[in-house]
Amino acid sequence: MLLRDAFKTATRSLTHGKMRSILTMLGIVIGISSVIVLMSIGQSAQDLILGEVESIGSNLIIVTPGAPSGDAFAPPPSAQGIVITTLLERDIKALEREPSIKGAAPMVSGQAEVVYGNNNKTVSYQGSTAELFVIQNLELKSGFAFTKSDVNSGNHVAVIGPDLAETLFGKYVNPLNKTIRVKNISFRVVGVLEASGTGAFGVNQGDMVIIPITVAQKELLGIIYFNNILVQANPEYEIDFAKSRLTFALRQSHGITDPKKDDFIIQTQADILSILGSITSILTLFLAAIASISLIVGGIGIMNIMLVAVTERTREIGLRKAVGATDGDILKQFLIESVLLTFIGGAIGIAVGAGIVGLIYFVLTTFFASLGWVFAFPISAVVLGFAVSGIAGLVFGIYPARQAGKKNPIDALRYE
Amino acid sequence: MITVESLKKEYLEEETPTLALQGVTFTIKKGEFVSIMGPSGSGKSTLLHILSFLDRPTSGSYKFQGKSMDDMSDEELAHVRNKDMGFVFQSFNLLSRLSVYDNVEIPLLYANGIPPGKRKALVEEAVISVGLEDKLYIEAGKLSGGQKQRVAIARALVADPNVIFADEPTGNLDSKSGLQVMEILESLHDKGRTIILVTHETQTAEFANRIIKIKDGMVESDELIASNRKRRNGDLK
Repeated sequence: MLLRDAFKTATRSLTHGKMRSILTMLGIVIGISSVIVLMSIGQSAQDLILGEVESIGSNLIIVTPGAPSGDAFAPPPSAQGIVITTLLERDIKALEREPSIKGAAPMVSGQAEVVYGNNNKTVSYQGSTAELFVIQNLELKSGFAFTKSDVNSGNHVAVIGPDLAETLFGKYVNPLNKTIRVKNISFRVVGVLEASGTGAFGVNQGDMVIIPITVAQKELLGIIYFNNILVQANPEYEIDFAKSRLTFALRQSHGITDPKKDDFIIQTQADILSILGSITSILTLFLAAIASISLIVGGIGIMNIMLVAVTERTREIGLRKAVGATDGDILKQFLIESVLLTFIGGAIGIAVGAGIVGLIYFVLTTFFASLGWVFAFPISAVVLGFAVSGIAGLVFGIYPARQAGKKNPIDALRYE
Repeated sequence: MITVESLKKEYLEEETPTLALQGVTFTIKKGEFVSIMGPSGSGKSTLLHILSFLDRPTSGSYKFQGKSMDDMSDEELAHVRNKDMGFVFQSFNLLSRLSVYDNVEIPLLYANGIPPGKRKALVEEAVISVGLEDKLYIEAGKLSGGQKQRVAIARALVADPNVIFADEPTGNLDSKSGLQVMEILESLHDKGRTIILVTHETQTAEFANRIIKIKDGMVESDELIASNRKRRNGDLK
């Protein structure tokens, strides 16, 4: 039998039982569209997270205190609430002497209530040096960043994020040179950041307060160590070279001779990207695996309905065999029917999935703009959707089709 | 054309073997019109199924056009059914939701190598020969019994087979339609086709020029009869 005739025969019997075909397809439509939607959400989340990390710059190196565990997925000790006090001022001095390093900004951070007049908000503050604005490429909407001398003399000045500025001052008051209170200590606002959204370390820049590190250490936190150091590699050098020089300098500064006894962790943007990338890939895969359960249910629906169709059409099978159809011809006919069902279902599922993805994108960007959600509709999901639906048709169609092909023509013709 | 020798067929019915054919021997030459007669349960349908390659005998030999059935695979049997045999059933076995055209076309779908253009001509020719050209695109389910059987004959003819097997073709028809159907079969015989008819009605059987009577799975009698065309007086029953 020609393939073209087989297709014609299959489409004809599918359109004869329209309602049944549509309901059968529904299972595949739901299965494929949920795979598509979840894969796309996973991809969007991945793009979002990786985008954030990329935005901190490819020549950025982050130094955190604590011993490297060897397990890239393990959180640094500081994140587990362990206080390690090994990063100190002399480390910055050591790094500043290193030609492959362009700049180093020590960082401390904490949470505090910020007050202006009757308005207040609890936000996280960061203490750092003027280098931070250069390294993180922070742009200001108004005013200026604080200076090296502000840091050295411990001036009470602050740069705040635009969202916080609006919360404290409203739309019509210029925040510049106003005095805000952070943990009951007065600071003069000297600048307002341009950027909104989430910055490095997952801190919302819109609500950020940046103050000189000297003030933060002495008056807010009462410490002399740093939480971490942001290092900018000199672009004239390879990042890996800068990383090894950085390691060397820190070991020297800490008096470490055995590399196994490092008390600091050095991560480049690439390191973080690869860790996050594998985490989010696993997440995406996991989501797709959950969605594929519905696909299997849909496939079983196809198999069920095809078995019913084979029984119902026993006489037709008998007749076709009597006039010369071989077992293979009959098998082909039923297999094409089931593949056609799943393939069309898959195509509709992809379209429905794309629609849902678009809707999610619209809702998230319209109502949760600060999330910075990105539209991702991976081609791989479309290809996968088609492939999986086609394969589902084959897998779930083969058994009923074989049953049909094996029918004895006489018994089939006698079937009532 | 057809040679059977000591044909036996055994069925297992609820673990008890039943001998439907107990050694049947005869020869049918090309161009004969043969009626196989017998009461129900005589084994005549079983015989027809074997003759038309729908079933295999338990023992004995069957040669069709000089070739032994034993030497042929199921696929080859299907091919011969498609190319050399036509089938007309008591219950028509049309696909009622398909048009007359599509029903008649079915055997051609399984005959490889007929270009679609030629297929159309063959279908139309077959439908014209049974006088249903004005019903070509009507759904088969909407036709009367007699018309349905004529569509079935057109389907049996379309691939230009050498033999046409008819299993009680008038069984579900009124006498007028039955007569029409038999006259078509008669005209096909006139054009040189071999017709093998199974029936239990004497009048229907007498359209043939040879009657093989089967009883209890054996040939009871096998005789040539004069063409009854002259004896017949319009009414079949």
